[in-house]
Amino acid sequence: MRDLLQEIWESLRRNKVRTCLTGLAVAWGIFMLIVLLGAGNGLLNAFLADGLDFASNTINMGGGVTSKPYDGLKQGRYIQLKDEDTDLLRQPPFSEKVDLVSTNVSKSGYTMTYGRRYFNDVILSGTMPADLEMNRIQMLAGRFINDRDIAEKRKVIIIPHLHAKNFLSGGTDYDKLVGQRVKVGNLSFTIIGVRHGAENQDDRNLYVPYSTVKSMFGLGNDVDEITFSFHGLKTAAEGEAFENQVRATFNTAHRAAPDDRRAVWIWNRFTQNLQMEKIKSILIAALWIIGLFTLVSGIVGVSNIMLITVKERTHEFGIRKAIGARPGNILKLIVTESVLITAFFGYIGMLLGMIACEILNMTVGRSSVEIFGQSMKMLDNPTVGVGAAIGATVVLIVAGTIAGIFPARQAAKVKPIEALRAD
Amino acid sequence: MLIDLKGVHKTYDNGQPLHVLKGIELQIEKGEFVSIMGASGSGKSTLLNILGILDNYDEGEYYLAGKLIKDLSERVSATYRNQMIGFVFQSFNLIGFKTAVENVELPLFYQGVNRHRRHKVAMEYLEKMGLTGWASHYPNEMSGGQKQRVAIARALITHPEIILADEPTGALDSKTSVEVMELLTRLNREDGVTIIVVTHESGVANCADKIVHIKDGLIEKVEDNRMHHASQFGTDTVMK
Repeated sequence: MRDLLQEIWESLRRNKVRTCLTGLAVAWGIFMLIVLLGAGNGLLNAFLADGLDFASNTINMGGGVTSKPYDGLKQGRYIQLKDEDTDLLRQPPFSEKVDLVSTNVSKSGYTMTYGRRYFNDVILSGTMPADLEMNRIQMLAGRFINDRDIAEKRKVIIIPHLHAKNFLSGGTDYDKLVGQRVKVGNLSFTIIGVRHGAENQDDRNLYVPYSTVKSMFGLGNDVDEITFSFHGLKTAAEGEAFENQVRATFNTAHRAAPDDRRAVWIWNRFTQNLQMEKIKSILIAALWIIGLFTLVSGIVGVSNIMLITVKERTHEFGIRKAIGARPGNILKLIVTESVLITAFFGYIGMLLGMIACEILNMTVGRSSVEIFGQSMKMLDNPTVGVGAAIGATVVLIVAGTIAGIFPARQAAKVKPIEALRAD
Repeated sequence: MLIDLKGVHKTYDNGQPLHVLKGIELQIEKGEFVSIMGASGSGKSTLLNILGILDNYDEGEYYLAGKLIKDLSERVSATYRNQMIGFVFQSFNLIGFKTAVENVELPLFYQGVNRHRRHKVAMEYLEKMGLTGWASHYPNEMSGGQKQRVAIARALITHPEIILADEPTGALDSKTSVEVMELLTRLNREDGVTIIVVTHESGVANCADKIVHIKDGLIEKVEDNRMHHASQFGTDTVMK
């Protein structure tokens, strides 16, 4: 191997400028591939960030309005979900698949006051402990609602971190707020936790125990939303079928057509998540394809140069073959040379690409833009992972081999008599 | 019998067929010093290529050290060339970007001999050629005679069955030519190396013990030249 490398080194040393120019094409190809993938990742991370705020194996439901007449009732009838509806999920055929169930009622239009600071138009969202897991609520201080809060209908509250920050005059020592009291409307609540909310003022959900909201406002057994998690589903088709089963059951319970998609509003995060994953993988694949096509020009360059090299060295290969070089020896020499050029310059390109991604991360990644009144990051963590780096390495080696194989076969085919005659 | 050619025919087909060898019968024993003479176009280069397993033949049989050399794959013929044949060319055919010792090492490289041993053996052969001091020089830093001696060292390093020399003095001046032929003669006499020299110079041919005259693709005559009186120039001058 050392001999092989030395042979290649000698050959490259004799053609420095040519080798570097070829290498530049490869480096550029890989650079573009990495930057494309990095920027693509950043875009996806930024746009799909919201999609990760909940567990993907959940379904979220709310009441709707019937869109067709059924069972002697007219269309346009409002469907109100009830507490009893959750019992449906605890019975066959759902009982074996459904894990956590959470119900939610909310009341909006209140003002939250803490000392002299206040927030208008907040939402009191009565929820259950299971919400913590299903909606991936991240606690920054204190705790989430527990079963005793529900049982004792405690007046406790969890506030988003932006509100907490405001209460602390910009500070982030959220623990200080735990145990403090805030007023929502005329009612007083004890803060038991601060959660990570959205990075804008639109997140005005204040979580309180479900039973507390129910009794405070005398809501009877009305439910705004039912969320439940499940297991054992794999494909989008299975998710779809499960959703239809849920719809049929709930619709029937509320005397709506089993296939009425508007009677009960269902958000199937499972299938949505699968679709998003699919879109994501398609986008990544598209980026790879574009990147690889950029790389192709580099590969053609290497191949071209190797062909010229082989032409120039025909006489030398003739000598080598005359004194006993097998075709395989020559093939290996050229392919290895090609792989080395590609890999060496490819890694330079990859390194520069990763540096470029980091620069992107530090500049564009830090800034955000206003889209439809929402502040949004343009790129979120636009870098490539270890997977992409390994992928690029494989691509480089494959590319180098492909670039080298054609010239190498030319070289291996050299007939010693013809080569030796050509002096 | 080291070399045994039986009715070897060779036709080149470049547009119109050219029958170059028309039934060559030739036997060479181990340790012989043979020269093959003939005018250009007589077929002597083709014969040399066939002897050197660089080219195929169409009809007949060629045995080298008991092995039938016919329709071999590139791979096998390369291995046979490496193990059984040492080439010495008119234009030396050294690799320009390799030093003298690296050139000599090359056949052993293709035998998979490790680098340390290769170097040691190559240095021994260079010493034998009186070129120890030139080991790390590149071919373009050496004279023609030195280059040809490097080439001879490279040919000898694998202990081949035969040394095939194709106009070995063709690119050398007369003084150097004499030296190179003396060297080949000494290798034959002292080490018993079988040598076949292809030439059109009678002086060079006269160094050999046996002269094979080839004409129009056939062996015209095989001359016993142990007295070295073959050529009219042979008696006093060696060549040219």
